[in-house]
Amino acid sequence: MAKNINDKIDELKTGVEWFYSDEFKLEEASEKYKAMTELAKEIEKDLAELKNEIKVIEEDFSK
Amino acid sequence: MESEPQQVYSVSDFQAVCNQIMETAFTGVVVEGEVASFKLNQGKYVFFDLKDEQSSVGCFMMAFALRFPIEDGMRVRVRAVPKLTNWGKFSLTIQAIAPVGEGSIKKSLELLKKKLKAEGLFDKTKKRPLPDNIQKIGVISSTQAAGYADFCKILNERWGGLTVLTAHTQVQGMTAADQIIKALKYFNEHGEVDVIAVIRGGGSADDLAVFNDEVLVRAIAASKIPVITGIGHEVDESLCDLAADVVASTPSNAAQMLTRDRREIAENVRADVKRINNLLNVKVDEITGVNRTEIARAGQEIMRKIELFRQDVLAQYKILEQLNPERVLERGYALIRGDIKLGAELDITTAKNAIKAKVMEIKER
Repeated sequence: MAKNINDKIDELKTGVEWFYSDEFKLEEASEKYKAMTELAKEIEKDLAELKNEIKVIEEDFSK
Repeated sequence: MESEPQQVYSVSDFQAVCNQIMETAFTGVVVEGEVASFKLNQGKYVFFDLKDEQSSVGCFMMAFALRFPIEDGMRVRVRAVPKLTNWGKFSLTIQAIAPVGEGSIKKSLELLKKKLKAEGLFDKTKKRPLPDNIQKIGVISSTQAAGYADFCKILNERWGGLTVLTAHTQVQGMTAADQIIKALKYFNEHGEVDVIAVIRGGGSADDLAVFNDEVLVRAIAASKIPVITGIGHEVDESLCDLAADVVASTPSNAAQMLTRDRREIAENVRADVKRINNLLNVKVDEITGVNRTEIARAGQEIMRKIELFRQDVLAQYKILEQLNPERVLERGYALIRGDIKLGAELDITTAKNAIKAKVMEIKER
């Protein structure tokens, strides 16, 4: 299932936290940083493209 | 009378025909006037007179249809059907009533506010926060209203990916409250939205009076789905606002409260990447710094051990030097080798000479 923007934002948040956590390893940091940079670009693209769907309900509330 | 034959009615028929004519002529007439002689009988039936400077007309309505507290002296607008009663009295049977004019609206509002507050409808402990991660918003508004346009504009500017279901209703006038109530019921019955937004732009006290309708206020308080109101301008406060879970000051503000700002998120995302970049640099510096320190410490330790070793070797050397026989000879001693017996030859070694000698005499010391 494709990740939505909220999933991606959560993933970025978790990724950033890793850099501050005890799990941080310098050997893995470079790869993680690249992944986070890519993810950030994707999020920015998604943010620019997101559109709302506005529908007017057909029900007649005047009756 | 005899020369002009006319239809003769019974009293009841005449009354029925009159009512029929009036119903045809006035399908829901709207009349405005001042309330006088207000009475509530048996808690069910409301009677009062509606008057102006010259005239007065009796009014009747069921108490449940009274959506605003009414008192003598208030100016009201009624939608009614004119009727001739069985007792021949002309009256208006009221379908809807609303106060008009700032004074009457204010007075009615105060009375209703006091009543509903006492019932706990505005209790802050009952308020629910807006849900996290809103995906579907039910909007109740007039699609032609400027407030609705503002709401949609801000919503689209700030965020995307939402489904907005709009229930188009009147947002002012005598039928507006019932339409909004039906829309609230619709959303609650279908249960497909995360939050309901009741939206209406600014207007006069008369325009916004619908949002002080008792039945509507109760419907908002009873909604299973959290309700946010964005009604009027910042200075306007309706009873619907007090009953809602969340109050926005304007339709635009409601859109702001329901959405995250995509520009702000984009900035945060960029800041996050910059932050981890900086952090990474700091960590690399820290680790490199630790390595340098450890190497320096190891070097110092090696030098210390070498020095200790050197000093030890030097000490051993000094001891060896003292034991060297040459050093003893240098102090004037001689080394004698051979048998100690008369006439035997001896080899004598001094620091400077090697001497051959013969034993001439042996004495005990």
